[in-house]
Amino acid sequence: MRNKIIELIYSSIDELNAQNEADSQLTKTEDTVIFGKDSNIDSLGLVNLIVSLEQAVNDEFNTEISLADERAMSQENSPFSTVSTLADYIEELLKQ
Amino acid sequence: MHIDFLKTVFENNAKETAILWKNTSYDYAWLNNRLTYWENRLKELQILPGDLVALVGDFSPECITILLALMQNENIIIPLNNNSKVNHSEKFSIAQADKAIYVDEEDATRFEDFGTKASHAFYDELHAKKVPGLVLFTSGTSGVPKGAVHNFDKLLAKFKTPRKALKTINFLMFDHWGGLNTLLHTLSNAGVVMATRNRNADAICEFIEKQKIELLPASPTFFNLMIMSGAHLRYDLSSLQVITYGTEPMPESLLKKLKEIFPHVKLQQTYGLIELGVLRSKSKSDDSLWVKVGGEGYDTRVVDNILQIKADSAMLGYLNAKSPFTEDGWFITGDQVEVDGEYIKILGRKSELINVGGEKVYPQEVENTLLGMDNIAEVTVYGEKNPITGNIVCARVTLKKPEEKKEFVARLKKFCIGKLQSYMIPVKISITENDQHNERFKKIRNIN
Repeated sequence: MRNKIIELIYSSIDELNAQNEADSQLTKTEDTVIFGKDSNIDSLGLVNLIVSLEQAVNDEFNTEISLADERAMSQENSPFSTVSTLADYIEELLKQ
Repeated sequence: MHIDFLKTVFENNAKETAILWKNTSYDYAWLNNRLTYWENRLKELQILPGDLVALVGDFSPECITILLALMQNENIIIPLNNNSKVNHSEKFSIAQADKAIYVDEEDATRFEDFGTKASHAFYDELHAKKVPGLVLFTSGTSGVPKGAVHNFDKLLAKFKTPRKALKTINFLMFDHWGGLNTLLHTLSNAGVVMATRNRNADAICEFIEKQKIELLPASPTFFNLMIMSGAHLRYDLSSLQVITYGTEPMPESLLKKLKEIFPHVKLQQTYGLIELGVLRSKSKSDDSLWVKVGGEGYDTRVVDNILQIKADSAMLGYLNAKSPFTEDGWFITGDQVEVDGEYIKILGRKSELINVGGEKVYPQEVENTLLGMDNIAEVTVYGEKNPITGNIVCARVTLKKPEEKKEFVARLKKFCIGKLQSYMIPVKISITENDQHNERFKKIRNIN
C-alpha cells in the first residue's frame, strides 16, 4: 500500500510542478521537504498539493479521509514535513 | 505641509535608523534628505498636485520616500505591489492613472507618463481641498475591483498622536491598509521600518530572531503555516511582545494554540476595511475572540447582526460602484457579529465572498475569467472551508464536449496563471453534467 501512496504523492507533485515556476519545483524523492525549512512551495502550493492528493487517495482507496484537518495540524511532528512523513500519515489514516 | 509632522520627527531623530532594508540601515537624516530630493524630482517630472500617480513597489527605501513625497505634493496615490504576477492595467484604468512610478526589487525607479488627465468628482473634491488622496482596491461582486477614494490627510490625523513604536515587521502588504498603517505608525514614532520580501514562515521567524522583532502583525493563515512548518521551533522568538491578527476570521482553536506557543505574548485582534482604514481595537483577553473596536473618530452599531461603522476618515466613495453608505452616513461592513456589552465577536462575511488567507475573492471575478477558456459551457465558483487558508476556491464546471478530467484541470490552472492572482485560482475542480442554474436562471452557488 505504501508504494501506491508514494506513487499518488508523486503524481500530485507532477501536477503541482506543472503549474509552478522553475524555482518552486518539488523533486520526487521520499526525503523531499514538502513544507518546512527550505521548502520550495508556498501556502497555496501546499493547499493545492493536499487537495489534489486527498482526491487521489480517496478515489484510489474508495475512502473519505481528510488530510488537512485539526488532527493533522495538531500532530507533534507535522505530517507535511517530507514525502515520507506524509506517506506514513496517509497509511495510518487508511488503516483506521 | 501634509507630512510636516513627520518631517519634525525625522529631524529630531536624524541619527536613528529609519529603515532596515536588505541588511542596510538608512537613518532619518537620509530619509529627510531623500524626501527633499524626491519633492524636487516630482516637480522636474512635472507631476502636478492632483495628478493620479500609481506607485508600484514595496516597502523599500526609495518607494517609502516617494510615497511621502507624493503625499506632500498633494497627489492622489494608487499604491500597488511590485511582486504581483498579474499586471495592473485594469487598476490603472479604473483609477485613471495619469502617471506611474515603478520601484523594482533592487530599489531602482522608472517613470511613465500616460499623457492623460483623470477626471472624477471625488478627485476634483480632493484637488479643491488641496489634500493628498489615496485609491485602494477591494474585490467587487461583479468581478471588477472597486476603487475606494480616500482623503489621505484625514488618515494621517491619527498618526499625529505620539504612541510607542515597537520594533515591528512590515509583514502586511503595501497596497492594503494594514501595511500602510504599520509604515506610518513606525515613521511617526521614529521606529525602524523593517521589511522583508520573503514572507514564508522560516524567513519571517529568522528575521524576528535576528532583528529582535517585538510586534508581528499577520494573518491566521500565516500562523497556521508557521505551526505546520515548525518554523517557530527553529528560531528564538522570545523578543516578541505583541502579535496582532486580522484580515480573516481567527479560528478559536488556532488562537488557543498560539497562546500555548507564546504564553507571554499579547495577542491582539485588529479590524480594518479598505473603505474605512484600521480601527483601534482591544481584545478582551489574549485567548478571546471578543474585541472592542472603534476609538476616536469611529462609531459603531449593530443592525440585524451586521456591524455598521461611521468614520470621520471614511472614503469619499467608490470610483466605479454605488455608495455603500446608509443615508445617515453609516458604512455597512457586511460582517456578521455577536454582541456582548461593549465587545463584539466577528463571525465573518454574510456574502458569497471567499476569504482565502485574508485575500478576498468574489466568485464572479473567477467565473468571468474561466468563461474565457475553451470548452467551458457553464461554471460556478464557490468557497469551501480549509483548515490552512480558512477557505479555498472551488469550481464546478459543465463542459461543452467531454474532456479527460486530469487534462482539463491542468489546462484550467495553466489558463488562470497571469490572468488571476494565485489565491484566486481554483484549487478544487469538479466536472458536472447538470445545468448549474435554477428555473429562474439564478446561479445555484451554495452546494455545501
